[in-house]
Amino acid sequence: MRKLINFLNGAAPRGNFFRRSVNSVPLQVLICLLVTVAVVVAGINEYATNKYLNVGYTPDQPVAFDHTFHAGPDSALGLDCRYCHNFVEKSGHSNVPTSSTCWNCHSQVKTDSPALALIRRSVETGEAVRWVKVHKVPDYVYFNHAVHVNRGVSCVECHGRIDQQVVVGQQKSLNMSFCIDCHRNPEQVLRPVDKVTDLAWKAESPAAQAAQGTKFVHDWKVNPPQSCSGCHR
Amino acid sequence: MSKQVFNHPAPQPGEPTGPSYWRSLDERNKTPEFRTRAEREFVDGAAAISTVERREFLLLMGASFGLAGLGLAGCREPRNHTLPYSKQPENTIPGVATYYASSFPGESANQALIVETHQHRPTKVEGNPSHAANGTASSKFAQASVLDLYDPERAQASQAASGAVLSVAAVRDLLRKLSAEAKANGGAGLAFLARPSTSPTRARVVAAVKAALPQARFVEYTPVAQNRADAVLGFRALPDFAKARRILSLDADFLGSGDGVVEATRAYSAARRADTAAEADAMARLYVVESTFSLTGAAADHRLRAASSHISGLAILFAAEVLAQTGKGSDAAALRAKVSGLSTDAWIKESIADLVAAKGKALIVAGDHLSADAHRAVAVANAALGAAVRYVKAAAPATGTIADLVSKPAATLVILGGNPAYDAPADVDFAKAVKAAKQVVRLGYHGPAYDETSALVKDAQGTFLAASHYLESWSDGRTVDGTYVPVQPMIDPLFPTVTELDVLAPFAGLTQEPYALVRETFNSLSKDASDAAFAAWLAEGVLAGTQYPTYSEQLLALPTGTFKAPELSAKSLEVRIVPSVHAGDGLYANNGWLAEAPDPLSKTSWQNVILISPKLAKELNVEPETQFITEKLHALNRNINQLVDGRLIAKVATLTLNGVTIKGSLFIMPGLADYTIGLQLGFGRRIAGRVATRVAERLQGKLVGNGFDVYPFVTSTEPSVRTGVVLALTGESAPIANMQDHWSMEGRDVVREGNAADLHHNENFAKLGIDGHAPAVYGKDEKMSPAEKAILTPRGNSAYEHPNHTVAPNVAVWQGHEDKFPLLQQWGMSIDLNTCTGCNACVTACQAENNIPVVGRDQVLKGRNMQWIRLDRYFFDGRESAGTEIPADPQVTFMGVACQHCETAPCETVCPANATVHDDQGLNTMAYNRCIGTRYCANNCPYKVRRFNFLDYNKREAGHYYEGPLGPAKLPKDPADLPQLQKNPDVSVRMRGVMEKCTYCVQRIQEAKIQAKVRAKDSADINVADGAIKVACQQACPAEAIEFGDITDPKSRVSKAKASTRTYGALTYLNTRPRTTYQAKLRNLNPRMPGAILVPLSRKEMAGREGHAPAHGAAAAHGETSHGAPAADSHGHQK
Repeated sequence: MRKLINFLNGAAPRGNFFRRSVNSVPLQVLICLLVTVAVVVAGINEYATNKYLNVGYTPDQPVAFDHTFHAGPDSALGLDCRYCHNFVEKSGHSNVPTSSTCWNCHSQVKTDSPALALIRRSVETGEAVRWVKVHKVPDYVYFNHAVHVNRGVSCVECHGRIDQQVVVGQQKSLNMSFCIDCHRNPEQVLRPVDKVTDLAWKAESPAAQAAQGTKFVHDWKVNPPQSCSGCHR
Repeated sequence: MSKQVFNHPAPQPGEPTGPSYWRSLDERNKTPEFRTRAEREFVDGAAAISTVERREFLLLMGASFGLAGLGLAGCREPRNHTLPYSKQPENTIPGVATYYASSFPGESANQALIVETHQHRPTKVEGNPSHAANGTASSKFAQASVLDLYDPERAQASQAASGAVLSVAAVRDLLRKLSAEAKANGGAGLAFLARPSTSPTRARVVAAVKAALPQARFVEYTPVAQNRADAVLGFRALPDFAKARRILSLDADFLGSGDGVVEATRAYSAARRADTAAEADAMARLYVVESTFSLTGAAADHRLRAASSHISGLAILFAAEVLAQTGKGSDAAALRAKVSGLSTDAWIKESIADLVAAKGKALIVAGDHLSADAHRAVAVANAALGAAVRYVKAAAPATGTIADLVSKPAATLVILGGNPAYDAPADVDFAKAVKAAKQVVRLGYHGPAYDETSALVKDAQGTFLAASHYLESWSDGRTVDGTYVPVQPMIDPLFPTVTELDVLAPFAGLTQEPYALVRETFNSLSKDASDAAFAAWLAEGVLAGTQYPTYSEQLLALPTGTFKAPELSAKSLEVRIVPSVHAGDGLYANNGWLAEAPDPLSKTSWQNVILISPKLAKELNVEPETQFITEKLHALNRNINQLVDGRLIAKVATLTLNGVTIKGSLFIMPGLADYTIGLQLGFGRRIAGRVATRVAERLQGKLVGNGFDVYPFVTSTEPSVRTGVVLALTGESAPIANMQDHWSMEGRDVVREGNAADLHHNENFAKLGIDGHAPAVYGKDEKMSPAEKAILTPRGNSAYEHPNHTVAPNVAVWQGHEDKFPLLQQWGMSIDLNTCTGCNACVTACQAENNIPVVGRDQVLKGRNMQWIRLDRYFFDGRESAGTEIPADPQVTFMGVACQHCETAPCETVCPANATVHDDQGLNTMAYNRCIGTRYCANNCPYKVRRFNFLDYNKREAGHYYEGPLGPAKLPKDPADLPQLQKNPDVSVRMRGVMEKCTYCVQRIQEAKIQAKVRAKDSADINVADGAIKVACQQACPAEAIEFGDITDPKSRVSKAKASTRTYGALTYLNTRPRTTYQAKLRNLNPRMPGAILVPLSRKEMAGREGHAPAHGAAAAHGETSHGAPAADSHGHQK
């Protein structure tokens, strides 16, 4: 300030009183802004989108099992989910089928198919097939399949239309707000217990679903946990 | 309006001074060290970073965070795989636990068990309720045995003398070769040394070996023999604690040690349960004569301190008194004449009078170490009393002793299990027997690197065979009452190991596998030998009708010899040697859960100590300098176990007997006989694994065992009691890893007691202190049912608006229909202090169920032990003025304290991360993934039950905690890192920086609720039935002291327990409203006994604090007169 006053009083030499280095300030500000924006954009892209939650994660499996062919709506086979995932109603963990489950049919059909080489080897040697896990919640989350499928929550609510996927990928975010939304409004998803594995089933209208869901909530005394202890132990 | 402050009521002038309850001598004497320590949250140093300065630490951490950021690793989840079975195994559902029946092998009795397996990985054991005598209960040793299966130092391969690894096939070839050699000469020069076993199959195979090789010797040895009276009497007297109402124990710790503790505790505790006047009259009464404090002594109503070496004589005097009072005066006089140096006093007379009055329901139990004459005398006395004893014919004891193997060495020695190189008596030079043998075969659980005997055998060019754990083996056994139980494998052996039966069978010429051998034994013992019956036996775990048959031809003989009591003094002491609660006789020395579970009475862990009596401490002048406490000038305070920097520093002393010296830390233990020294076996291992050796030395490659070795004092003839010991101080001091003073409750009325007689006229005796005056926290809402109190959180007379904790359905659809919604089940717990014996089973069971880490001795010294259940031990005295003397004759109360799940939990309000919050079933939950480790919650918890993971105990190896990621990890992908296989998959494994505490076994609650809903499907029947949830501590408790369940259901067991007049809550005047409540302890006094304490001192103390009698508000609330009963009480109502 004093410098400025001196200058105005003519005490300082005449000329440009900004130092030379000041010339680059606008550029510096610009670069800083750009970097900040880039970091923010990259951060949002990384952490605040479905990508971070692995939505769309569709890894290749060691054996190209096609759900549409085996269990799809137009499939001639029309297997029920529980033919292969047979413990889903009994266990918290929905099992991936054993190789011998595949071999129930494939010992008769397409026995020598090269696509089944790994399964064949597994059946012969007892070695496990290394399926790639698609749907995964953190270790501190204790999700239980049995309690959901036995109480009218369909597979489709978390897994999507598996029966329409040639290669299975993650379709829902499976983050905590995804869980809590449903636990707060179970009437939006509850369906008759015998329709749980019918992935194509839908109530006639959203209003019909709400009415029916509300009835189920009342009749079955549904009160999904929303406290920490419901899922974290 | 100012905030109300709760102050503890100050003592009134002239009232009795001095605390009656104290947990350590320091507390008793209120030394400044104790006060400083008690006022802190954690002990000094617990929160300190010891090896690195704080600044340096922050610098390092900053740098490491920077480096971590550079790597940008872990942005994406790694690729995970699912590996299903190739073929689905039978009865296995991935994610669902499977339970199998088995049993925990003991030397005199097996414990019937149910083993929880996850995909065939055993993780937890429980008692088998099919065996009614033990119910769901199990001992701490059984609970901890599952950790031994995953001991990383267990032998993983058999080794030939050359050091070459032997496959199982090679081991079988070797055994066949040895048996062929033995067969050639009829077994001459062949000897087997084994631990005793209850297995009928082993007995059968051993008999077959003897038949096939008549000259072979089979010797059994155990350092702590049980049922020693069998050999004297020719039969076994099984005490019937369920029937006995007057019990006299002569140095027999039937509640604390031995293979029958679970059954004994269960039956005894059932006989102690009393809530009504009628039940109080039928309550069992326990007299104990003992030298060191045992759990049985702690449970005693009347306890006589006597030297163990005198108790053999006292037993004869007790028997004589029984005979005198049952009209056999001449026999009595003859017996009395045999005893000199001891006097018949009023104690013997009155206690026996009580026993005789309860003829048919009386019982005398004699300790194993007593003389043959004492056992004979007790048998005669029991017969005269018509005692509550079942006589059975026990298995014939093995012929030969371990000393024979030294005097007549075998050419081929086969050592099956045990660890004789460590635990053989001092007068038996076992190494000589091994060196003299041409061929030695050793079957051991630990290899030469971690076991004295295996190392000795290796030095002698012997063969080492790796042994299977019992959870990997086929065998069988008998429980205390003789019931035939299986030992069946839960898992294929983790390593190529063999069992005892595998080794013995070839010598008997048997080619069968152990499974087939067990099957044959079953066929001979069961009436139905079908496959279905065998499968049923394996499923059920017990074979009905196989108890030992009652034996009626007892040949009773009066004692023949005379007894002269040895003179004892400070110059000539007696030692009483007992197996330690940590390591047993040394077999469990490498088990971290047991090492860390504190001794119930001394509260020491990771080591043994030399227990000395207060009188001896005084005479030896080992008390520290006298201290003055300013507020009580008359009190000179003494303590021996100095607290320095929060650590207990003890004087080190040597004990010398016949030129043999052992060295250890002194620990003053009230309640010891004056000139008796208590020593515990199982420590001071010379070659042992990571738990049994000290961390610092182990890291330097040296093997120095924790504690000190007591076996030099054990001889063949005197294994438990020696006299003539001289104690000398070395002038050194050493820290003791103890959990004694941690988180003290500082003498508040947390433990409450009454006499059984109180139930007649003063049943509200448990409503003491502020509670008695003002159940004010509920105020006008006091009359609400427990269910309403739990759900509505009534605010009583408070003028404040409390937050509304009403449990409403939290689903939008239910709003407006709340009336239709059933109340959610609310969980609560009740702990009965009356039946708790302080056995530690709950502590270990909790550790097994909840993945609680072992922290190690160094961390315990810093007060960082992690067990969720703290078993407080309070001493109880009051016969002297406080402070000046360390009392000699205290009484003891145990109190298990875990998270109380307060309705208005103080921890929740201070958590900045909302990591600890209430759920809608009333649980105080911990969301580990939210916790940021501020430790505010632990600060604010009045019960001090929260445990903090100061370091990565689950992930890092002991001794390397401070190296962080630079140190070796405990849980890498290394398959040899076994302990992680024990972890319960239903419970999070916590990491560094996270607070944890009792969850009420939330995983079990959730599982039960899920099962109820799975069953309900599209119906409304979703409530969990009473009894469907058993929390881990409740399930393991042999005393059935813990009830857990739904407190909104008045018919549930826990609601009934909470409705007891003895129920009270700890520190409830803080308005915590704990979900866990306690039932007051009852002492069943015989007022005629000398030295009987007629008024519970807790009540006297509280009356002193209050200025007048307690139970005023409570009595008023129950419509009774308030002041009469306690006043009568304080003058002794029996007059």
